Amino acid sequence: MTDIILFAHPTFGVLGILSALWVFVEVLNASESNRVRIRRAALIVPLFMVLAWGLGGYWYITHYSVDKALILNGPWPFAHDLFMETKEHLFFIPAILALYLPIVAAANLAANKGARTMVLVVAALIVVNGLAIEGAGIVIDHGAKLSLMQWRAK
Amino acid sequence: MSRISGGGAIVQEDAIRDRTKLSVAATAFGLSAAVSILFNTGLACVKDAYPPVFRFMMSLTGHHWITQGLADLILFLVLGFVLMLAGVRMNGNGLAAIVAAAAVFAGGGLALWTVLF
Repeated sequence: MTDIILFAHPTFGVLGILSALWVFVEVLNASESNRVRIRRAALIVPLFMVLAWGLGGYWYITHYSVDKALILNGPWPFAHDLFMETKEHLFFIPAILALYLPIVAAANLAANKGARTMVLVVAALIVVNGLAIEGAGIVIDHGAKLSLMQWRAK
Repeated sequence: MSRISGGGAIVQEDAIRDRTKLSVAATAFGLSAAVSILFNTGLACVKDAYPPVFRFMMSLTGHHWITQGLADLILFLVLGFVLMLAGVRMNGNGLAAIVAAAAVFAGGGLALWTVLF
């Protein structure tokens, strides 16, 4: 079960990023015909982000201490010191922006240029931050893996 | 909102402004998001630099990270609702620049803080 939680966390994060990208592309072509679709897509982003938040948070609080000890005693201690320490706080930025996205996407984006710019910027920030966080997750995972490999080689 | 009096130029100007302004809710929660994002970075730095804050956050929920997440969320929601009561509407381009600047500054600040300290 813990492995499922561990895999579900980045999966929902990626789905949140893809949904934000979907919103971005739809808004580039905003019209009356895709107005409802944009609103629905904008609602899906916070749904996935909250799931990634909850599952990642649960893992971090209940299981991460073992990985942390492994990483800090391995060849890549910066995987925790730098990447995890940044990631655990950076995550709140796209999470807050994801909660905001449906509020601003509720406007008539085909007619309101200002709202359209706002949605594009917020969606782009979610994608860029999300990708940075996914990348940090890979480094953290590799830090734990290298530590186990080193321990096995001894 | 378009005005009937004041000539065609004013009517046109108002119409353009209406097409670039965000709703009251979008303005309020946009500003709130920018403030919450900056607050998040500030709180992360303060709890790292000042152990009593870290211990206090631990004591509230059992884990500093849960307290930080709840504080961010509560600030975003409460400030958003308070700003909504003010009824302010901002230009979308201006608020987008504020939110983008806040996100870049907060994200970069977090990374820099972790590297330097």
